[in-house]
Parts: sequence; structure tokens; C-alpha cells
Amino acid sequence: MLDRAADDEHVHQRETASDRPGVAQPVPKRPVPVQPWSAIFIGMLLMLSVLLGAWEWYWRDFGVTPSIRNTDGLWAIQRRRIDNGEGNATVLLGASRVYFDMQLPVWEKLAGKRPIQLAYEGTTPLGYLEDLAADPKFTGRALVGVAPDVFFTGFAYRGGADKYTRRESPSQRIGQWLSMNFVEPYLAFYDPDFSLHTVLRRQPWPDRPGKHASLDVRKLSMTDAGRNTHMWSKVVTDPDYRALARSIWEQDFQLGPDDPTPEQLKKMASEQIERAAKAVKILRERGVPVLFVRMPSNGKYLEFENRILPRAETWDALLAATGAPGIHFQDYPELNQDWELPEWSHLSQADGERFTAALYGVIARDFWRDDAAHAAQVSSRE
Amino acid sequence: MVFNCLTFVVFFATVLGLHSLRLPWIAKKINLLIASYIFYAAWNPPFVILLWISTVVDWYAARQLVEAKGKARRHAWMLLSVVANLGMLGYFKYGQFLLDNFTVLMASLGVDYQPAHYDIVLPVGISFYTFATLSYTLDVYLGRAQTARNFLDYALFVTFFPHLVAGPIMRPTELVPQFAKPRQASGDQLRFGLALMTLGLFNKIVLADSFLSAAAEKVYDSDKLPGTLDAWIGTLAFSGQIFCDFAGYSTTAIGVALCLGFAMPDNFRFPYAAVGFSDFWRRWHITLSSWLRDYLYIPLGGNRHGAARTYAALMMTMLLGGLWHGANWTFVAWGGLHGLYLAVERFLRGRFSNYSPGPLMFVALGLLTYALINLTWVFFRAKTFGKAWDVLRGMLGFNVAAKPILTMYYLVTVGVIVGCIVLTHWIMRGRTLESVVTRAPPAAISIVWALMAFAIVIAQGSGNAFIYFQF
Repeated sequence: MLDRAADDEHVHQRETASDRPGVAQPVPKRPVPVQPWSAIFIGMLLMLSVLLGAWEWYWRDFGVTPSIRNTDGLWAIQRRRIDNGEGNATVLLGASRVYFDMQLPVWEKLAGKRPIQLAYEGTTPLGYLEDLAADPKFTGRALVGVAPDVFFTGFAYRGGADKYTRRESPSQRIGQWLSMNFVEPYLAFYDPDFSLHTVLRRQPWPDRPGKHASLDVRKLSMTDAGRNTHMWSKVVTDPDYRALARSIWEQDFQLGPDDPTPEQLKKMASEQIERAAKAVKILRERGVPVLFVRMPSNGKYLEFENRILPRAETWDALLAATGAPGIHFQDYPELNQDWELPEWSHLSQADGERFTAALYGVIARDFWRDDAAHAAQVSSRE
Repeated sequence: MVFNCLTFVVFFATVLGLHSLRLPWIAKKINLLIASYIFYAAWNPPFVILLWISTVVDWYAARQLVEAKGKARRHAWMLLSVVANLGMLGYFKYGQFLLDNFTVLMASLGVDYQPAHYDIVLPVGISFYTFATLSYTLDVYLGRAQTARNFLDYALFVTFFPHLVAGPIMRPTELVPQFAKPRQASGDQLRFGLALMTLGLFNKIVLADSFLSAAAEKVYDSDKLPGTLDAWIGTLAFSGQIFCDFAGYSTTAIGVALCLGFAMPDNFRFPYAAVGFSDFWRRWHITLSSWLRDYLYIPLGGNRHGAARTYAALMMTMLLGGLWHGANWTFVAWGGLHGLYLAVERFLRGRFSNYSPGPLMFVALGLLTYALINLTWVFFRAKTFGKAWDVLRGMLGFNVAAKPILTMYYLVTVGVIVGCIVLTHWIMRGRTLESVVTRAPPAAISIVWALMAFAIVIAQGSGNAFIYFQF
């Protein structure tokens, strides 16, 4: 123990190995300062409880309820289903539109089996499509969402989940399980959008001359342990929050000097289409049907997409190059309805459910009619 | 597993629970050994085999060299240990590096050599535990330590999970004697250990990961040319990040060990208040710098064979110290720069041996030391020499056309946090943490502890690995 009388010696440096060259190093001294540690510990716990309680109350008052974090570990759980006996499942790939809009319980009710949700927000599905193409265990069907500004630029905000899955350590797997079972379902503030650093960064800091701080995307969705995700109700019900969400998208609608030129965009799109064609070829050779789906958008977002990535040069070119079928929401009356897209890009939960049912209807009617035949084909190959 | 993850919380609670049971001491030690293997296997179970190989080779070599008759035999057993450990380290850590350099060398001679892809994963912490096991054989060889009384104590010395993957690098004489008698933390040791863990994790999760790493990444991992302000802020951010990351790990490790009743040595002593580079290395990663001094610099001749040999030994030690950090020439450059600094300082100290700086000059020399250390961090952080030159040119004001990279948020947060870190180091440079805590009012300790714990929770760290795990 370190008491105040003996403190003088410790106010000055205690010796370390750097003070004892070329000799056997002795057992270190690790004195404990004399303090009422029990009282200090209890005081700390009480204060910490009050602070955490206040923080949780603040975010719940803001409208947040607990949700499962969309981590690479959560993605990996779904990806491993393919390795663990569900190789013939329907897999959903895409960016946030497939992720937020496709309602897995609705699909499950109609198809009898829940699809595997592997879409990731802000991320081209091509990396994950290539991963599935390289995996002979995957013999199911792939629905690939096409969000033009992500798909045709190859943007991958959350790329690398496939590599994470392969390298995930036992410790990470246990941590994921602990978190999604004992922490995330109970704490509203435990969401990356409300982390200390994120909250501080989005305060109204003055601009640095020559460097405008753009707004980061805010929380838009709620996820469950099976990666079924829907739009957060606050985006639908809170006009200020909805306006904020729209203003964040609007930052990107005018291309700046650092953004790609139209020629560069065209080149990027053709590179992505080439990637898609290669992956689709491999999958089709294995008997895996691939179906591209252009999910709904409207308002200024749709105008932006049509302006910088016109359908003829992107969507139509993709279908032509891959030879795969596609569903563009504007081509089907049942999909081109007056959907509620509060921030122009994603459906509200209620319309997500209706859209999923409508989309499944189109798919079952026009594309994947042969469920039984498909299953028989797969089993005969196996 | 890492200290900053939920799995560790459950693991540590279990280990503490088992360690507090009324079991024979040998059973507790076996528990700790098994727990340590689980701790390591939680990354990649097959790599436990490497740990076993390193453990068994050194146990056997040390016993044999004690029993060996004749100097040559003793020498041979010592060499076996060195070759086995460094061979393993070389294969896993430097294999790709050597192959790449060999390919470049062949190409420069006009030979088109295409090696097979060297797809080897670096086992976590291999640099740390090979140095720990090597110190066992070398200390026995040098007569500084006796062999451990039994294999369990020795295996636990190598594997003890608080220091296993990122130090502090323990010597056998520091830890093996602690396993001789039953150890159980007192209530105050447990609570102070938990306070140290909180401090360490606050450094890692809040300061390093949440506030400093992003600014360094934006400058060092972007293809944009940094201007003077961005280059300096990015580098200062990294200087703060690497300190908070590594010192945070060491402090947490010391706290973890204390909670179990064991003492581990200081690894950092407020290094950014160093005045001069020999002072810096007495404060930064102390267990590595003293290891290199005792097992490399001194055997190379140290300062016993004249000035030229001393400078050569110094430079060789620092170059190899740089290479220890990573298989890249940028790390060698980092070590070389430190070697150069140390050599120049040694020369100046000899030349101006009667000079004693006044208070202002003392602080000025300290700030100069810190500034020059930041120049070395450029090579440590940059992945290529090209990037390092870009940042250095920026720091020296040559990137006139550069556009701003960092927003005001990063300029302010990095400035405030790194400023506070440097100021704290200057306030603490002649003290220990314990001496300050002893004099602090209990309520203030409670408040600071609670605020740090609160910040850790709301920072929501994502379990990022510590930087030094890769070394």
C-alpha cells in the first residue's frame, strides 16, 4: 500500500527496467494509493448509473427504441446460413433500398421460406455477388437490388463483410452473440448514430475556409436479429427529421469539382456492368437464377438518378450485358404506385410490406414460377 | 481476444471468479494457464501451437544449458533457442518482406523471379511472446536468472494473458517468482486494478479510437496532398493515437494483473515530456527499449569499446528495433531516424557536458524533442515512403497547392486532446500516477472514474484491435 507518509519516494519516479541496465529485473512494485476505495467505488457506480440513466432517457425521449446493430458480425450470421445447409435459399443483395424496403416476414409468408438478407446500406452488391459466385455451396436464387448511384459507381461503404465472415474470430462471434442478446435489445442509445464521437461531430461546427463539413447520413432504420429492417418511424412522423434526412441526400445532388465527370461516371458504370456480367455468368452456369430489381425512389432523388445515371446507359445496359432478367419498378403498375418514401429513397415500413408483397407477386408470376422445378433441379445436381 | 470487447468482460469475470475460489494454488495456476490459452485461441485457435512450440523449446533449451558441461554446449543450447524463436518470427512476420525484397533485388539484376504467393497470417502478439521466452533462455544463459522450478510456473510466465499479446514484455525474474506463493488481490487492489483498467480503456476507446484515429486516417490514408496544417494535425493525431492506444493497453494489462494479485512493470512514463531522445526511450515502451538494450545493444558492445563502436551498436539496435515493429522499410527508417537522433544527442552531450539548460530552455528542448519525434511518426504511420514524403513536405510547408482535408471539428478536437496529453505529461513528468491519486480527494477520484467509464460506454467502441497487436 502507498501511504502519504511514504509518498515522497513515489512522487519521484519509481525505478523501471530503463534504470537497471544489464541486470536481472526484480519483481515490480505496484503500490495501491491509500484511499477509501470501497466508498470511491460505490460513488463511481452510483454516478455512472445516474449518467447512463440520463443518457438513455435522453435518447428515448428523442424517439429511439432499442434495435439490433447492423454489424459485419450480424451479416456474417446470415452469410453462414449458406454454408450451414441453406445453400439453396433465396438471397437478397443490394444496398439500403433492398435492406430497408424488403420485409422478410411478408416474403416468408408468401414463399414459405425466409430469404437470406445480405444487402448492406451504401454498398454495391457486386462484391457480395462475386463472393456467392465463388462459393459452390450457393445453389439458390439471387435477387440483386440496383440503386443506381451505388451500383454503377461501385461505391462500397460497408464492403468487406465477406472477408470479415471468413476471418471472424471465435472472440468476435461470441461478442456478437453477447451484444445482440444482452445489450442491444435493451439500450436505445447503443447505436452508432448516437455514439459520443458521432454526436459531437454533427454539432454546428464553423466551417474551415475551403473545407465545408458535409452532414453524415442519420439513423433511418431499425433492424432485428435476423437482419429484417424497416424504416425508423421518426423519419415518417417527424417533419423536421424527415427534412433533415432529405437535406442530407440533397448535398450529393449537385456534382462538385471533386466528383466524377459524366465521362468518368460512364466508365465506372461500364466497369461495374462488366463485373456483374462475369459474376452472373458463373452463377447461371451453376444454375443459379439472378434477378435484378430496381427498387423505388421518387422526388429529387429520382431526378438526380435519372440525370447522372440515365436508365438507358445503366439499367438497360446491365440487363443487356448480363442477359439476366430485371424488374424496374416503373415498368410494373403494381410496383409503380404512390408509395410513401419520406426521404425520396426508402419506403415507410407499411409501404415496405405492401411493396414486398407486390414484388413477390410479380416475381412468382413472371420470373421464378418454377419453384418446384427449381428445387428438383438443385437436388438432382447435388 | 481484445480487452475492449464484450467477450473479454465475460472472460475476465469468469477468471476473477475462479481465482477467488478456495482452491489449491496449483489449481488456480492451472486455471490461469488454461484461461490464457483460451484468451489467445479466441483469435485463431491453431496459433496456440506456435505458443506451445515457443514455450517448450525455451523450457528445454534453458534446462539443457544449465546442465551442459562446457561453454560451447551452453552456447549451442542458447543459440537453439534464439534460432527457433527468431526463425518462427522471421517466417511468419518477415517471410513476405524478405521475398518481396529478394524479388526486387533479382529484378535489379535483370532476373525475372516470380515467387509463389506467400499467404501467411501473422499470429497475434508473436513479437511479444517470442521476446518474453527469449529473455528466459538468455537470462538463464547470462546467469541473471535460474530456471523456473516447474514447467507450470514457466508456461504461465510465457502465457499469462495480461501481457501475452502486447506486453509489457516481462522478464522471467519479474514474473516467475510471483507464481511461487499464492496470490489473491486485496479488495483495494481489485478496485484500484479496475480503476487502472478504466483509465487504460478510456485512453484506447475514447481518445485513440473515437477522437484521434479518424484525423490520422484522413491525412495518411487518402490520396490527397496535405497542406501544412493538415499534415501537422494528422501527425499530431497519430502521436496521440499511438500513445493512447499502446499506453492504454499497458495500463489495462497492469490493471488486469493487479485485479488477480500480480504486479506488472510500468511500460510508459509520460514520454511526451521527454527532454532528449535517450530520455524519450526511458519513457516510451520501456520494456521493449530495455529488452533491446540488455539483449542487443550491450552484447553488440554497448559503450565499452570506443565511440565508433558505440554509435554503430546504437544505430544497429534502433534499426532492428524499427524492424521489430513491422516488416516494412518505413519502420526501419523510423528506427534509423531514432538511432540518428540518439547518436547526435550523445555527441552533443559529450561536446557540451557542462551545459545545464534553464527552465525555459528545458521546456523548449522538450518541445523540440516532441516535434522531432513527430517527424519519426510520419514514417511509422505512412504505408509507403511516397506518402511519408508527401506528409513531410506538407509539414515543412512545401505543399502550397494542397486543399484542406480536415474539417474544423478535427482541427479542434485533435488540438485540444493532444494539447491536453502533452500538458499532462509535463505536469506528471516527475511523478507517478499513484502519487497523484494518493493526494486527490476521494470524491474527485469517484467523479473522474465515473466520467471515464461513462465516456467508454457512450463512445461505443467497436472492439478495434490495438495497433501494437500487428507487431
